[in-house]
Amino acid sequence: MQKIPLDKAKAGMVLAKPVLKENGMVLIAEGTELKENHFSILKKQGIKFIVVKGTPLDLGEGAYGFSLKKRLDRLDYLFRKHQNDPWMQKVKEFFKVYFTYQIKKSKTEK
Amino acid sequence: MEDLRTKRKGKILAVKDLPTLPPVLDEITKMIEDEHCTPKQIAEVIAKDQVLSAKVLKMVNSPVYGFPRRITTIQHAIVLLGFNVIRGIIISTSVFDVMSQAMVGLWEHSLGCATISKIIAEELGLKDPEEFAVAGLLHDIGKVVIAIQLPEEKEEIQKLVAKEDITYLEAEKKVLGFGHDRVNSWLADHWNLPLPTKVALTYHHNPESAEFYEKFAKIVHVADFITKVLEIGNSGDELLNTLSKKDFVDIGLSFKKLAKIMDRVLEDIIEVLTFIPK
Repeated sequence: MQKIPLDKAKAGMVLAKPVLKENGMVLIAEGTELKENHFSILKKQGIKFIVVKGTPLDLGEGAYGFSLKKRLDRLDYLFRKHQNDPWMQKVKEFFKVYFTYQIKKSKTEK
Repeated sequence: MEDLRTKRKGKILAVKDLPTLPPVLDEITKMIEDEHCTPKQIAEVIAKDQVLSAKVLKMVNSPVYGFPRRITTIQHAIVLLGFNVIRGIIISTSVFDVMSQAMVGLWEHSLGCATISKIIAEELGLKDPEEFAVAGLLHDIGKVVIAIQLPEEKEEIQKLVAKEDITYLEAEKKVLGFGHDRVNSWLADHWNLPLPTKVALTYHHNPESAEFYEKFAKIVHVADFITKVLEIGNSGDELLNTLSKKDFVDIGLSFKKLAKIMDRVLEDIIEVLTFIPK
C-alpha cells in the first residue's frame, strides 16, 4: 500500500483505501481497479493523493529525493558515535534489516 | 557569563519583534482562555486574516494530520482538531515561514517529526494523536528563533558541529550556555502553550526529566530519532543522538511495533516530501 500523487496514478492500479468527497461520501470505493475515466472525476474533485495497493513508486532506487538504498548506506555514518553502545547497535541492526527487506520487496513488487 | 545568558534570553524572548507572528494570535489566545468562546467566534477571528486562514487550512489538510477527506472551513478544522492544535498550527506556520532562509531543511524535518509522532501515537492507541503531531511540529522551534534572533551565534553553532563532530544540541550548549530545548521552554511560557506541548518541547532530548505528560516528550523523542534516521529535511545534525531505550520500552514500543510504524511512514512519505506549506 502506498499513497501516491494523482499524476503518478495509472489505469489498472487498485485502490487500497476509498477516495472520499469533501462531504465524507465515498467517491470511489476501496478495491476498485482504476480506469481512464476515473482520472477526470478525481481531478474535478480536487483529489491530489490516492492510496493504492502495492508500491508502484519504487522507494528502493529512489523517488522524490528519498531512497531506501541511500538510507541503508548512511546508517554507518549516522550511527558513527554509537559503536560501543550495544543498544544503539541493536537499533542500527533493526534499520539495516528493515531497509534491506523493503528494498528487496520493492524489487519483487515491480 | 550569567549576564550574557540573561542578555541572550532577553534577545530571544523579544519574539514579539518577529515580523511573522500574526496579530490575531494574541486575540485567539485570549479567546481560548475564555470558556464562553465558541469555535464559530474563534473561526471568525482567524477568517479575517485570509492569508492565515489559507495557511491553516493547508496545514490541516496536510499529511501530518492525514484526514481522509478535505477540510474546507476553519470552523470545521477547530471542531475536529481543537483550539490548541489550531493555535500550534498558527504559530508553526507563522514562524516557519521565515524558516526556509533561517535554517534550510528544518521545516521539512519538523513536518516529518510531526507526521511520525502522530503515527506512533495512533499505533500505541493513544487518544488525540493530533496533539502529539503539533508537539512534533513545534519541537525544534527554539532552533529557528535562535537563528532569527541570534544569527551570529547560530553560525558559530553550525561551525562547531562540523569542526568537533558533535550534535547540534551539544554545540548550542557550548556556544550559548543553553540549548534549543531551554529556548523551547521559554517560548512555551511566552505563548502560554498547553502543558503537554510544553513538556514535549522542553524534554524531547531527555524525557526522563519530565515530571508529567512524559508520554509527549517520549513520543516526540522517538519520532525525532526516526526522522533523523530517514534524514527527512535537515535538523542541523548529521549525527544521531542516543535513542533512550528506557523511553522506547516505557511507551510500549518494540522492534516489531517499530516495523509497523516504519511501514506506515513509508506509505505516507511521498506526500510528506512533496508537501510545501506556502
